[in-house]
Amino acid sequence: MTGAVPRIGIVGDDVPRQLVLATGAVPQRLLGSWHEAVSAEAGELLGTVDAVAGLILDGLLSGRHDDLAGLLVCHDSQANLRIFYVLRILAQRGRLPFPVHLVDAPRLSSPTARRFVGRQYSRLLEFCEQVTGHRADTRSLHHAAERELAVGRALETMRERRRTGRCTGAAALRAYHAAAATPPENAVAAVTEAQAPTAPGATPVYVTGSNHPDPGVYDALERTGDVVVVGEDHDTGDLAWLGVAVEAPTIGEVIDGLAAAHLARPAAATGGLAAARAAYTARCAEQAHARAALALVREHDDAPAWDLPHQRLELRRRGVPLVARTRIRSAEDPVAAAQEGVAEIQAELASTAGVIS
Amino acid sequence: MSRLEAARAATQHQKQWFADMAGRARDGDPIALVNADAPHEVLRAFDVPYVVNQWWASIISAKRLGPASMRMLAETGLPDHSQQYDAMPLGAQALPLDQQPWGGLPNPAFAIADSHGDVTHKIFEQWGRRPGTETYLLSRTAADPVPPRWWELVPYEWETAFGTDRLDLLQDEIDDLIGWLEERTGRAFDEDRFAEIMRLANEQAEWNRRTRDLLAAARPAPVLVNDTMPAVMVPQWHRGTQWAVDAARRLHDEVAQRIDDCVAVCPGERRRLMWIGRGLWSDLDLYQRFHKDFGAVFVWSMYLAIAADGYVRYGPDPLRALAARFVGLTDLLYVPPWSAEWYVKEAQAHGVDGVVHLVADDTPGGRFISEALEAEGIPVLEIRANNADSRSSGAARIPERIADFLRERVPAGD
Ligand code: SF4
Ligand code: SF4
Repeated sequence: MTGAVPRIGIVGDDVPRQLVLATGAVPQRLLGSWHEAVSAEAGELLGTVDAVAGLILDGLLSGRHDDLAGLLVCHDSQANLRIFYVLRILAQRGRLPFPVHLVDAPRLSSPTARRFVGRQYSRLLEFCEQVTGHRADTRSLHHAAERELAVGRALETMRERRRTGRCTGAAALRAYHAAAATPPENAVAAVTEAQAPTAPGATPVYVTGSNHPDPGVYDALERTGDVVVVGEDHDTGDLAWLGVAVEAPTIGEVIDGLAAAHLARPAAATGGLAAARAAYTARCAEQAHARAALALVREHDDAPAWDLPHQRLELRRRGVPLVARTRIRSAEDPVAAAQEGVAEIQAELASTAGVIS
Repeated sequence: MSRLEAARAATQHQKQWFADMAGRARDGDPIALVNADAPHEVLRAFDVPYVVNQWWASIISAKRLGPASMRMLAETGLPDHSQQYDAMPLGAQALPLDQQPWGGLPNPAFAIADSHGDVTHKIFEQWGRRPGTETYLLSRTAADPVPPRWWELVPYEWETAFGTDRLDLLQDEIDDLIGWLEERTGRAFDEDRFAEIMRLANEQAEWNRRTRDLLAAARPAPVLVNDTMPAVMVPQWHRGTQWAVDAARRLHDEVAQRIDDCVAVCPGERRRLMWIGRGLWSDLDLYQRFHKDFGAVFVWSMYLAIAADGYVRYGPDPLRALAARFVGLTDLLYVPPWSAEWYVKEAQAHGVDGVVHLVADDTPGGRFISEALEAEGIPVLEIRANNADSRSSGAARIPERIADFLRERVPAGD
């Protein structure tokens, strides 16, 4: 461990890691958890939001991340934006030992949105330069691209293993989490190590709904060997913006390429429209050979609930039933909700077994 | 205390306007459904009547059709618990026509909204799936930067207030929206008419500002705050018309007349109060309950104050000005430190002795508002009436808590 490498924390999933790496910093995503109670202070500061955001704020206020050199907060959900608004003031008051910067990357694609996102990424780069004291140049951007693209290749290989029963959902989720919080070299190692044969005969299930900041639910789902999570469309799993970089001759072109890449990638539930989300979910579920889909939606994470009727329809067209559990309270029953969901999937598959096969 | 004539006139006008609009729609004219933060003035320039989603929700909920509307959503598999107020009109549209308020909202040709929060864009996407309705969505950027004293910046120096990047994006999107509407209506965008609409909107804001300033200075308070609400809000939905300017002026003149006539809602006024947060519409008497025992009067209305400070935009380019009006309108009210600074400024201007702060759970950093007021020596009572089930029990205690607060922390002036 070299204590000298500055780490820049990230809340949300709109940061191109290449830019952070090019200034000599390590991007470290902060994920929160689905299994703890939010402190009264964080709850009061944020108002009513997805508990995961409360736990991210708790982590920051508790001093657990005081060794960060800076923090980037994405406007990719209302909850994360509130974290930014609160931290902007607390940072000014000296409550945080590092500066905080907003990354505002809208999702509606247009030439003007691309310029706006490009400006945001330029400012993100400046922020990282200030924090690290290292200016990015074409060489460092190129080097950062090579490192990050290696992560992308490792992830592609992992997804291939996952499709062929050589990597469980829980192992993949842990690899995604590790990759989002470590230098590319460690990320490649973590992703490459994600090899865990799936239980023979396990039902392949595609997970949608809220994201999974910790592997608790995946572990519970796969523990009995009845089910394997073969893919997901949330931003802490397959949808996470990792392993993407742009090679171009100038800084401006790299940034513009990243802005275009952002606007072109599939949206998470909060930024996306239901129709596009449903088409994406169904396509991915089919490619992953899922036999069923399971939507687990946390209380106060409302966006995924608006996708459900469309997802149900699109999945149904491909012969994949969707089972949904919504308004799951964080500290209480995510695992129970997931297990109920699995039972319902099994009942559903049993009742249609004769019809499908 | 007799009601403001301006409030009565506004309410009456709104009914007539709705009937005319619905008639036009039934004759085949396109109408639009928009959310409160969308650039309405563009539609006015196209002569496309628009209904504001939040206003329509207030009518639906006043007719107690909220739960039935949410059930309609649930029946199609959509959530009935999420951003209910914004989603309610979508559900109400599926109710049998004879149950809908005011004879029903004719199906809009256009549904236009900014992508605010996590689900507004999804609600409006659903409108676009209804036959005959198309959706147009605008981006919603975040409040960054937040330079101090926004109310001094927004009339002219909006580039400083909101930042050029945000304005560029919204202006380009409005431009695109104009092209979208030209294609669909077969009408050309009339720039002169648009410029005139923007001029009228500023004139309306100027009257609101004068009215607010009158009320800030008047001792004792000549109007009930809840009475100014319809007199301010209804004309806001007609912003950019001569009627709206005249309505704002009528309110001003009526307030001025009352001051001249020494009208007092509470002649024994000894404490001036400010209510911050969502109105407790279920208990409008609440605002007058402390007259008798405490001489305590609520003197400030968020609706008038934001109409006075939030909307005015002067400048040579009306399209840029329109982008500057909407790019961060709700941020001014809800995002700290902007919100907190503004509440302090308003409390001081109105000579407020104490603040009752109903802390919203749908905005962050409520505490910063209370802290900013207390730091200026203005006592604050924070009320956290959170989730639905505590509503009845929590709300029941609010009057007692206000009374205790007045006794313990708000000394009577003279
Ligand atoms: S600001 Fe509030 S009321 Fe307006 S659209 Fe957004 S959520 Fe709805
Ligand atoms: S408390 Fe006294 S002064 Fe105030 S409104 Fe009632 S009667 Fe009038």
